[in-house]
Amino acid sequence: MYTKTQKFIQQSFIIILMVLLLSPEVNAQGIDFLRSTGKIYSVVAVIVILFSGIFYFLYRIDNKLTKLENHIKNE
Amino acid sequence: MLKGWWWKFGGAFIFLYVLIGGMTIPLRPGITSVQPSNAKTGENILLDITGYNTHFDQAKNIRAWLKLDSTHAINALKTNAEGPNHLQMEFQIPETAPDGNEVYPLHLIIDNEIDGAFILPNAVFVSRSTDSLMFNPNEWTNGKMDKFHNYTGIQFPYRNILNETIRNTFFHVALWFAMFILLLYGVYYSIRYLRSGNFDNDRLASSYTIVAILYGSLGILTGSVWAKFTWNTFWTNDVKLNMTAIALLIYFAYLILRGIQYDQDKRARLAAIYNIFAFIALIPLVFVIPRLQDSLHPGNGGNPALGGEDLDNTLRMFFYPSIIALFLIGKWMAEILTRYERLKDQYFIKSK
Repeated sequence: MYTKTQKFIQQSFIIILMVLLLSPEVNAQGIDFLRSTGKIYSVVAVIVILFSGIFYFLYRIDNKLTKLENHIKNE
Repeated sequence: MLKGWWWKFGGAFIFLYVLIGGMTIPLRPGITSVQPSNAKTGENILLDITGYNTHFDQAKNIRAWLKLDSTHAINALKTNAEGPNHLQMEFQIPETAPDGNEVYPLHLIIDNEIDGAFILPNAVFVSRSTDSLMFNPNEWTNGKMDKFHNYTGIQFPYRNILNETIRNTFFHVALWFAMFILLLYGVYYSIRYLRSGNFDNDRLASSYTIVAILYGSLGILTGSVWAKFTWNTFWTNDVKLNMTAIALLIYFAYLILRGIQYDQDKRARLAAIYNIFAFIALIPLVFVIPRLQDSLHPGNGGNPALGGEDLDNTLRMFFYPSIIALFLIGKWMAEILTRYERLKDQYFIKSK
């Protein structure tokens, strides 16, 4: 169903996420950065999560609509 | 009331207001750290103070006290500003200590005409020397605390440990409140479906609940990030965390129930009844059980939240609009999902 570019984007996104979450060195550095200037960057992280959640929802609806459109076209 | 398109832009606009205001308004001045943090009775100590958003170098009249209780305090002998956020102060800790205490904490209060007055509780711990005398209150009353300056202008409160993350109130906490309103809508449409048998109500109910589940999952994730920087762990055995996790699992089961390819009538009826029961289970899990026990969340294990000191008036200016904005955005998403489901059902019923 997915095109090649979509698959590539998904896979690279997952790999980046895994590297960020699992590598302990990157993790420690990232957390030190997030703790700087009164922990303001953790607020930024929260906003990023919020927006990516809404974006994910829109992306899903977009995909669903494309499928429905294709169905109607193929009739 | 929510007819037409205006509320969609309203939601986006209010959220923009929350984002800009919530991120740009500075925190009130506060004290980050004090070195050294312990002393002995009768000692002359030099305190190194690191402030946050303070203006020590511009202030002309800096006064400071180490406070034992409401009547007993000592004031600083000398203050020396070394930069906007650095201050050195000299204190003479009295020879006598309150009776019966081997170690007692002193709270540090700093006051100047630019930043107003602010406090660091338990800043210095004083331990008793071996040859200390009976408590002499006269030694402790030379620093009279009066004529405090007040900071005027809009700023968010400074809390130790929380620091800037107090802004997460607008995003994490408001997300849960918006989720609750969306769930209420879902239950309302579920009841309407059971009474009327109109499938459109079923579609609306499922859309609202799905968006609410999305908000709940985001609430868990954002709360986890916040916890990492304040409680130093992604997950604790806090009652509220575990109970909301259970509530979310109940709602994940709702998603599975909706995914079953079944005859539409039965599925809608089952989902509507399940939704009502899930909502009834949610109320004790999130609002009752955490209040009965101690919790790291404010407003639990005692009096309810949103009263007294938990929410400052400047926080309220952004917290309540944020709930409305997130709710309106969620409603928008739910309606788009409903319209998609409606089209899909129309198309597939026609093609059969």
